[in-house]
Amino acid sequence: MKIEERASTHVYRQRQMFTKEELEARERLCVHEQPAYCNAACPLKLDAKAMTAAIAAGDFDRALALYERITPFPHLLAEGCEAPCEQSCKLWALGEGISIRALERAALTWGTKSRGKSFLRKKPTAVGIFGGDLLTLFLAGELVKKRYSVHIYCSQPDAQALVEACVPEASPSAKAATAKALADMDAEFSWNADPVLAYSREERQLKAASFAVAQALFPDLAVEEVLMVSRPHNLITGKTRGVLDAAFGAKKAALSIDRMAQKLDPANTRGEEGAVETRLYTSLEGIAPSERIPVSDKASAMAEAKRCIQCHCEECIRGCAYLQHYQKFPRILTREIYNNVSIIMGDHMMNKPINACALCGQCGVLCPNGYDMGEVCRIARENMVFTGKMPLAPHEFALMDMLFSNQEAFLARPQPGFNRCRYVFFPGCQAAAIAPATVRAAYLDLCTRLPGGVALMLGCCGAICHWAGRYELHSQTKAFLKEALAQLGDPIIIAGCPTCKKELADLPGVTVLGVWEILERLGLPQTRRPDPRPVALHDACGARGDGETQASIRRIAQALGCQVADTPYSGDQAPCCGYGGLTQYTNREVARKMTDKCLERSDLPYLSYCMACRDRFAREGRESMHLLELVYGTSADHCPDISAKRYNRLGLKQQLLKELWKEDTQTVDLGFTIAYTPEAEALMDDRMILKSDVIQVFEHLRQTGEAICDGETGLYITRARQGNVTFWVKYRETDAGYQVISAYSHRMKVVNRQ
Amino acid sequence: MADKNYYTIDPEGKLTCLKCRCKLQKGKAKFLYLDNGFPVELPVCPQCGFVYVPEELALGKVLAVEKALEDK
Repeated sequence: MKIEERASTHVYRQRQMFTKEELEARERLCVHEQPAYCNAACPLKLDAKAMTAAIAAGDFDRALALYERITPFPHLLAEGCEAPCEQSCKLWALGEGISIRALERAALTWGTKSRGKSFLRKKPTAVGIFGGDLLTLFLAGELVKKRYSVHIYCSQPDAQALVEACVPEASPSAKAATAKALADMDAEFSWNADPVLAYSREERQLKAASFAVAQALFPDLAVEEVLMVSRPHNLITGKTRGVLDAAFGAKKAALSIDRMAQKLDPANTRGEEGAVETRLYTSLEGIAPSERIPVSDKASAMAEAKRCIQCHCEECIRGCAYLQHYQKFPRILTREIYNNVSIIMGDHMMNKPINACALCGQCGVLCPNGYDMGEVCRIARENMVFTGKMPLAPHEFALMDMLFSNQEAFLARPQPGFNRCRYVFFPGCQAAAIAPATVRAAYLDLCTRLPGGVALMLGCCGAICHWAGRYELHSQTKAFLKEALAQLGDPIIIAGCPTCKKELADLPGVTVLGVWEILERLGLPQTRRPDPRPVALHDACGARGDGETQASIRRIAQALGCQVADTPYSGDQAPCCGYGGLTQYTNREVARKMTDKCLERSDLPYLSYCMACRDRFAREGRESMHLLELVYGTSADHCPDISAKRYNRLGLKQQLLKELWKEDTQTVDLGFTIAYTPEAEALMDDRMILKSDVIQVFEHLRQTGEAICDGETGLYITRARQGNVTFWVKYRETDAGYQVISAYSHRMKVVNRQ
Repeated sequence: MADKNYYTIDPEGKLTCLKCRCKLQKGKAKFLYLDNGFPVELPVCPQCGFVYVPEELALGKVLAVEKALEDK
């Protein structure tokens, strides 16, 4: 098994992550951008959500601007609209919906109209409007907004009388405001005219390009209601029911006129008109029912607007530190990742986000449509590996660590006294790295109490290379483990870690159980250390979708006397601790936010059943326990550094080989000692430099004598290239060897040149 | 044509090669990464050719260029 750095930045291989159709199908699952229920219900496309938000913020001017955008006569509409938006308000499910009409009126009352002028040039196309009814009234307004040259012919003597004839039922104030708006419009009026006569004259002379007539003038005309057009003469007319219907009809008619002015069929390419179905999902969890607040002044309008929950879907983002960090919802993130992967040359700006996802699948559970961002990121990683565009640097340490687990620290042995075993205990690499004493105790217990023999396999399940997108290495690891299992007689696997359980279950023809299932079957051992305190149970992301494991863990915790407090986002919704997906290695900032996200759910000590979770919580200063520590009365190491994690794995292997299989492993005597200052140890842990790396640097030094002395500090400095990295060590000489003061590394190779 | 260098450090006689017992001098070196090369001038031993990459350079500019190239 080999890990190779990408050859060059000049390899221009490309493969799409998935087809355009699949991309679109995935994107459709995300409803974040779907319109709010109120917005979707309005045929005039009022952004009621934004208008309400503006009023809640006290910005009545903006609210008015939003409202005026949909209609030329807002006073008429605010009074006569049937308000389908109000009926579709989500808050009706709890108490009373938002009184949007009252807010519209509040915007009209307390908002100041913008004095800005339209930048649109006046169109030369003339439109004649004959006769006054609600449709032609609104149409005149719509067309003036579109900057047509509008000429209105009506029998009334003035604007006031025209409005009165169109909407006799409106209030005097609405009529007055509408009449003023009408009179102020940039249109020509022929008052006291005979509309029918005017129409026949205009039509003959063809002065106007389009004609709209009041329905009452030609009541027998057949009208296509979608277009508000009467064929074959393309005359605009129609009967409307109420103010909203008229306002909507006027919009449809204005669009028909637009198309006809361009000599196009009014029936084609009209875009999305009217109310729409929304696929939005909005959770009402944690929202208290409330009643409408009567709007009488600015303050009460703001109070009513503040009841609005601004319907939107952020189910995934709310639970996920990764999505919160990048402030992008899955649809847009997927599109950017898709584009990033498609880039042949240039900067791949989304590499970092691709490699920062924990691939934990939480979003897939939280999303009402099951949008799994982790799956997208994993496919992107595999694609980048395939095209040679995946840098090795972010994943190399973890991959080398996996190879260490499956080579130097790997152990697969049947239980002493057995040739073939019924079971094999697979504790997982992190358990051996963080809690070797617990692994030993668990194995000895299983050997004692389980009939049929229990083999031991210390190694990595392959999750690391799976997460890194190294599909070839993943296949090789699976084949390697399958072979090792075959040599043990294909026993039933007892996994100590839920991620291992999931990963190993993918091997063909294997049966995998969790150690927790076995412990429930056997009963808890005498070594158990009951802990009667309340604890916050953190579910491992590896156990997502595995309800039986989650339930089993809870039963064992209760049997241990723990008072288990379920936290928000527990069970299948649990967030990742920051280790999953290799986030810990690729983006420490995001990984830390993930850990914080886990820990913000409770102030209690955390009980987990994944050793990586246990370790990361402890590193953030929280009291943290693994279930097996309580079961076996053992303690994991406290925050072991990266070198200690390797030492623990190797040490456990050597200890068990000696103790159970009576095999002594040769320990190599270096012939010199290396001491580390505490600062150097902390630096090395931070910079991912292992003590074994430092040993190799000194071995190189002793072979070549290559080192320099810094006259300013008096320190010696040496280096050695190992694989893809050059390690530098600053040191002092001691009687028996060296004292390391500092260490650093770089991946670039440095050579002499002429 | 003038020799192009992306970075120059002069050791100013402060560094000594332990193997050759001589002072490191400003010398020509080259960083190589992912099929890209960057000529630089670094402290070099005039005898054995040991090239010294100081900690600040490794964790500063070198790291930044590495990251930029990795995302190409």
